[in-house]
Amino acid sequence: MSANLSGVRHTRGFDVIKPLSIAALLLMMLPLVLLPIASIFIFGMSKGLASFWESLTAPDAIFALQLSFVTSFWATVFNVVFGLFAAYVLSKYTFWGRNSIIVMISIPTAIPTAVAGFALLLLWGPYGLLGQYLSADTQIMFTPYAIILANIFVTFPLAFGVIMPVLETMSHSLEEASATMGATRWQTFWHITLPSLRGAIVGGALLTFARSVGEFGSTILVSGNLAGRTQTAPLYIFAKFNEGQVEAANAIAIVLALFSFLIFSVLFFARDWLEAD
Amino acid sequence: MKIRFGLTFILAVSLFLMSCLPSPPGGGGKGARTITVYGFSIMKEALETEIYPKFAAKWKAEHGEEINFTSSFAGSETVTNQILQGAPADIAILSIERDVDRLIAAGHAPNDWYVTPQKGIVNKTPFVILVRQGNPKQIKDFPDLAKPGIRVIHPDPVSSGGAQWSILSIYGSELLKSELETGTKDANRAEEGLRAVWRNVISTPGSAREARTQFETGYGDALITYELEGLLMKQAGAPIEIVVPRSTIFSEHPAVIVDRNVTAEERPLMEAFRNFLWSDEAQKAFVKYHFRSVTNESFNDANPEFAKIEMPFTIEMFGGWKQAYPEIIEKIFLERVKNK
Repeated sequence: MSANLSGVRHTRGFDVIKPLSIAALLLMMLPLVLLPIASIFIFGMSKGLASFWESLTAPDAIFALQLSFVTSFWATVFNVVFGLFAAYVLSKYTFWGRNSIIVMISIPTAIPTAVAGFALLLLWGPYGLLGQYLSADTQIMFTPYAIILANIFVTFPLAFGVIMPVLETMSHSLEEASATMGATRWQTFWHITLPSLRGAIVGGALLTFARSVGEFGSTILVSGNLAGRTQTAPLYIFAKFNEGQVEAANAIAIVLALFSFLIFSVLFFARDWLEAD
Repeated sequence: MKIRFGLTFILAVSLFLMSCLPSPPGGGGKGARTITVYGFSIMKEALETEIYPKFAAKWKAEHGEEINFTSSFAGSETVTNQILQGAPADIAILSIERDVDRLIAAGHAPNDWYVTPQKGIVNKTPFVILVRQGNPKQIKDFPDLAKPGIRVIHPDPVSSGGAQWSILSIYGSELLKSELETGTKDANRAEEGLRAVWRNVISTPGSAREARTQFETGYGDALITYELEGLLMKQAGAPIEIVVPRSTIFSEHPAVIVDRNVTAEERPLMEAFRNFLWSDEAQKAFVKYHFRSVTNESFNDANPEFAKIEMPFTIEMFGGWKQAYPEIIEKIFLERVKNK
């Protein structure tokens, strides 16, 4: 696209606009995104690799990373399955109230995450609307399950948001052909619809997962923030920062930054790869 | 095809690894009992490095049982709100007695919590001013913080107990100085002094510890905080100085068992831990971490860093927290000073 556009007028000679615009792009990113991330790496490594490694392998740090990944994993599983189901139903059928459902699914996007956490406490907390009927042993809040619930709430619309547009714009000729050939709905879904959604599902899942791993505002309210029990990686970073242990905080921040880099690289390359065949 | 298989394999393995919850780190092994402590922000070092290991060793020696600890630290008001919302604290160590009162009012703690040694107070520390090395702004006492152009960092009284101590400290020191000069406590002068300092506050972090971190990153000219925070910072080599006001308050920190979360079987353990906080061993450990002992003043001689204060006072001067909170924090600070 861009090559065509710039080629329209500058058919002869060197196009100065191209390097200039790329430089401008990088220059804008530098103070806003790149330098802040760079300073995490600089401060994380400021006391040398040995100290960095020590902060990284502290039992509470490892636990926090594991807990973040596990809780994000289950939130992702749920939200992808839900997103797929919701997108399928909402793109296949038109009915009264369909748009309201789409709006409702999207609501968590604009809700401050702290409000999400507080809402969960008001519902499931030991003195909450439903939580008061749970016995002491089956309490959900202040356990890892609360973190999963918070992650699900906060990332609720993400997978749906990626899958829905793909499903809506998909050509239905193959599905119709499959149906004419006598396939059941389930066969059509499994063999025709699902494979063409592969890219969207992986994309939605990675986005949900990445967003969950970084979740802070709701987690700090519902988890109880107990080191080595209910403290996720972002909470650990915040706790270390507050203790003035900036290197320890940055060591984990580096892991999360690299992780984010990895996720979005996979997202970028996997899309071509998944849609190749 | 081979690449795809490899990638799928890696994905499957990582998915498997991610599907089970990690087990909590730390000794004790499965089934060991755990004491869950929610503490206000500055309690962390003393508890984790001295008090927990010492109590665990003592309990092991006496009962042959391993004990685990787990804790969470935040501003005193925040901690209290978490417990009120159902956070699973067994013991709460708070900055201000008012927060214990809030737990009692909600039925989380017993009315007679103060029927313990030292009326429930485990340690104390005076409030001081931290400034940059060399004291470039020439700050000697609270009124100097009101000078034009001084940028003060002060934790948020809504979430931090330390912030409330600080307000009482500024207010009370003016009361005492006016009494010394004129013979009567001048409430107007005290309120004016507080208002003048508050005008220079540029940031209100959520806890004393957050305020310190902000100050450490180079923000602001002065920070009002617990003496032990300044001493911990100096010990870590931070380029700061401690300014001791002529008159200042001693903050006194209560510990309480959160009855609601403690079963009858757990109770002896929790009581043993709480009572351990007043043992000579624990009190000396607090002194090592720059808290002052409440059981034995002679322990405090062991710490040569402790400042001498000319005119110290305590919450008793205001008639205790039951009067200080509504009359000074609410009526004077929140209603008349904060947004004026």
